[in-house]
Amino acid sequence: MSDFVSGPAVSEAKKTLDRLRASMRQTIKGKDEVIDQVLICLAAAGHPLIEDLPGVGKTTLAYSLARSMDCAFSRIQFTSDLLPSDVTGVSIYDELERRFIFKKGPVFANVVLADEINRATPKTQSALLEVMDRAKVTIDGEPHDVGAPFMVFATQNPVDYEGTFPLPESQMDRFLMRLHMGYPKAADELDILRAARNSYDAITLNAVATREQVLHVQRICQEVFIEESVLGYIIQIIGATRTESEFGAGISVRGSLALKHAAQARALLLGRDFVIPEDVQELVVPVLAHRLSLLRQSSDPMEERRSITASLRRIVGNLPAPL
Amino acid sequence: MKPKRPQLNLTELHQLKWLLGGALAVLASWSVLYLEVEAWVLLGLITLTVPVVLRWPLLTLHIPLWVHRLAFPLFVTLFAADYYLGKETMPALIRLALMLVFYRAVTARRRRDDLQLIVLGLFLVVVAGVLSVSLAFAFQIVAFTGCTLALLLVINLVDAAEAGQAVKPATLAAPPAWMHLNWGRLARRLREATDWRVASLGAGLFGGVVGLSALLFFSLPRFEFTNNLFLDNLISQKSKTGFSEAVRFGDVTDIRQDTSVALSVDVSDPRQIPANGYWRMLVLDEYSQGQFSVSAELKRQMRDQRQPAQQISGGARPRFGEAVWTFYLEAGTSRYLPLLGDFSQLQFNDGPQDYAINDALRVLRLQKTPAKMFAYRVEGMRFETGLGSPEVSPPRDAVAVAANGASDAAGDAAGGKTASLTRPSFLELKLEPADRDRVDAWARALQAPRDDAAAFARQATDWLARAHSYSLQVTLAEGKDDPLVRWMASNSPGHCELFAGAFTLLARSAGYPSRLVTGFRGGSWNPTSGNLTIRNSDAHAWGEIFSRQTQTWLRVDPTPGMAELNRNDRTEKPEALLARISDRSWSAKLDGLRMFWYRRIVDFDQKSQTELARGAKVAIESRAKQLKLSLNRVIKEVGEWLQQPWDIRRLVTCAGLLAGGVAAGLGWQYFARELWRRWRTGAARSGMDPVRREAGHWLRKLDAAQPRGVAVFDTLQVRAELERLRYGPKHGWPEARAVFRRARSFHVKL
Repeated sequence: MSDFVSGPAVSEAKKTLDRLRASMRQTIKGKDEVIDQVLICLAAAGHPLIEDLPGVGKTTLAYSLARSMDCAFSRIQFTSDLLPSDVTGVSIYDELERRFIFKKGPVFANVVLADEINRATPKTQSALLEVMDRAKVTIDGEPHDVGAPFMVFATQNPVDYEGTFPLPESQMDRFLMRLHMGYPKAADELDILRAARNSYDAITLNAVATREQVLHVQRICQEVFIEESVLGYIIQIIGATRTESEFGAGISVRGSLALKHAAQARALLLGRDFVIPEDVQELVVPVLAHRLSLLRQSSDPMEERRSITASLRRIVGNLPAPL
Repeated sequence: MKPKRPQLNLTELHQLKWLLGGALAVLASWSVLYLEVEAWVLLGLITLTVPVVLRWPLLTLHIPLWVHRLAFPLFVTLFAADYYLGKETMPALIRLALMLVFYRAVTARRRRDDLQLIVLGLFLVVVAGVLSVSLAFAFQIVAFTGCTLALLLVINLVDAAEAGQAVKPATLAAPPAWMHLNWGRLARRLREATDWRVASLGAGLFGGVVGLSALLFFSLPRFEFTNNLFLDNLISQKSKTGFSEAVRFGDVTDIRQDTSVALSVDVSDPRQIPANGYWRMLVLDEYSQGQFSVSAELKRQMRDQRQPAQQISGGARPRFGEAVWTFYLEAGTSRYLPLLGDFSQLQFNDGPQDYAINDALRVLRLQKTPAKMFAYRVEGMRFETGLGSPEVSPPRDAVAVAANGASDAAGDAAGGKTASLTRPSFLELKLEPADRDRVDAWARALQAPRDDAAAFARQATDWLARAHSYSLQVTLAEGKDDPLVRWMASNSPGHCELFAGAFTLLARSAGYPSRLVTGFRGGSWNPTSGNLTIRNSDAHAWGEIFSRQTQTWLRVDPTPGMAELNRNDRTEKPEALLARISDRSWSAKLDGLRMFWYRRIVDFDQKSQTELARGAKVAIESRAKQLKLSLNRVIKEVGEWLQQPWDIRRLVTCAGLLAGGVAAGLGWQYFARELWRRWRTGAARSGMDPVRREAGHWLRKLDAAQPRGVAVFDTLQVRAELERLRYGPKHGWPEARAVFRRARSFHVKL
């Protein structure tokens, strides 16, 4: 049983995550659920895709996470004329040293905010593929490690589809979760309005977790125990998406791995060293919904998302949890 | 999509095969218990040795190689010798099969040997089944079939797992892995590998097959076997109870009480059951050299039939409303068929039989003692209720007339050859002169009135009872005179044969024709199956004396206490009688099951089939009629009720009924869904750790009592611990018992 984590390691990881949550709450008001989901992505070493209208705090969320950790942060605003080298970096000939020197792009950071990712061309979007998967960039045949921990915080606008390039499925699959911010409640919005300064620079957060601590959390997360019947439950859910006639294609193996890692991360976030079926149930929609498409595609993207969510909820409702 | 259930590996399959093969060998060998075959040594050997080699398979490797080489020639030689000495095919074959089964059971088997074991076992079981048709056999064949099917399955699995690889012969130096057998571990692994859904499916299929077989059995046209199967003739049967054609009086007698069932009797009208039936089987009339036997005259009087017949007409005339008696005589009881007296018609259930009959004595004898349960139906049964009721005796009694010196034309016509024979007088006393004098002196001392058989019988019975008490263990003083006369002169206790024999001697000395009758007396009522049960311990002997006044034979039971019993019973009502002789013990219930087996399965002929079909039709029709009537009534009542004026009470009743219906529907839906869920998830599956299963059980209970969202802190803590037990790693488990205890107390509170 030495493969699995011990109690003190779990509580230490939970403390780290608790500190991060408390820190982010100072700037993100009334969005505890989203904060938790972001922290789950962090613990599971996954990347969140935040899909919502402009101006609901997507960027602030990313900022506050980056600031709360002792980590490098960079932001890339995706536009249709953005080039891959603008993301990853470029080799430039240095006259003095008479050789090519690699100039690191903005992706070399620990938390990368890829704002409005669907505005860039597919070519630029795919520049993110390798780095998201392996935390590495290969330029001129030479691999360069980006930071560790590494997290791409992508945002996209679901409504305004004019002049956008929808993310290809292979890339959607690389995001652990798709999150929605939603409008804040009136009371929370009032708090935001009351604040004297609202610019990003005004976010004055102290780092509450070191890079090592975050890496420790990510390492512990992989060792959270999953009992056989819970693994079977995950397989049942994934299997159901593959046989469901509404969906164009079922969830990939990467998807089932994602669900497992996310469930482990949620267990850790709640201070458990083992996963319960509730962890899986809670994460089915955020982890799986963006990986699915309807067989009969709807003209209204929001309508399509709602119907996928409803189908997933139905699947979870019909499958009995292992007790 | 659950985690893959553990599967048995090749070693475990081999172990299972070994186990099943051993069980099969023992099961098959036990079938010999139903047969009259001398095979106790082999049976004991198999029963004792097989469990030992099952436990320690390594022992089989200690058998030297030359034994294996010599085994089969030895078996063949033994069989040849057996057959040569015994001259009987079937017992020799059975013993050969047992030897082979033994050899196969105690040596390591390959696939071919396993199949051979199955075939040998099948041979033994089928032979036993055909010959005995007993209920125990039915159970045995079910067990045997299950065992065989399982063995065949395992053989197939082993074959598939080995996938054609050559298996090295096992040696003591390198024993195969499966020979290191641990039963506990194997049982655990079996439990893990067995899914309760598979098991329930298997059980369901098995039940379906049995049900289908039963349906086929009841609906297929019956084949009438004109005679017994040839196998019956291959084994000779010996009488179990010692009903022989002679009663011998020795110096020492020790009668064992054998309470096994000898005879079961179905009576269509239980009210006609006699209080103390005397089931006559054999009449003995000649006494010489200390034994009663059947005289040559009586033997000649037994009419042997020229060809087998199924129906026999008796001397009694049929009357209206008489009960039909069906007798089920246990295998090996006797070849003389018990009867209460004369009858109008008798029919053998198993088709035509070879038999001999003495119309006058009402004694019926088969050619051979039946080797299996023998059934016959009797209509118009007459029975003498006892001493002093001569009116029920048959009016035409050939022997009685003959004893009087007149001729009997009817008897001559029926017997054919009997005209030239001398009639038995039932008066002869072949005793030494000294013994004869003593008997005459005792008879004179009775001072009974002449020509009053009833009065003589009473006085003789009293005289015997004064000198002797009743006992099953009798030891006579030594002497050279006649043992029966010596007993009469002594004060020793005696058994029924001594009393009946002494009475016969006294009566003959006094000039009354008399004879000794053996058979059964009494019996108990089995309320489970609704039949009379007569056990071997009910075997009895009594006397019959001829009354010249009434020209009838009277029954006299001189055994102490019997006359009193018989006198008291005459006034008893049928219901009280049945209640008195009812036997409600467990063994009676088992006997009831056996009766069902014989009545409904073994003895199920075309007639029974028609009766069953007619009964089923009538029952269905009457049920349908009842249902229709009650439906009409309900509709009418509801209509009337609706037409009545409405008030609050009626509204409340209506609402209550509606709510009840909805609640029942919802409850059913929940229940059905829960069942479905359990079926789908295999909630009770055996592969799961028992602690996890128990924790899951308590989590379900707590969830049902209080949904997660509204749980208070205390329950949250218990729930967290239960979750840890259910889903957490084992090394982090809290003390499981304490958690379950707390969960139980919370559940009670909630």
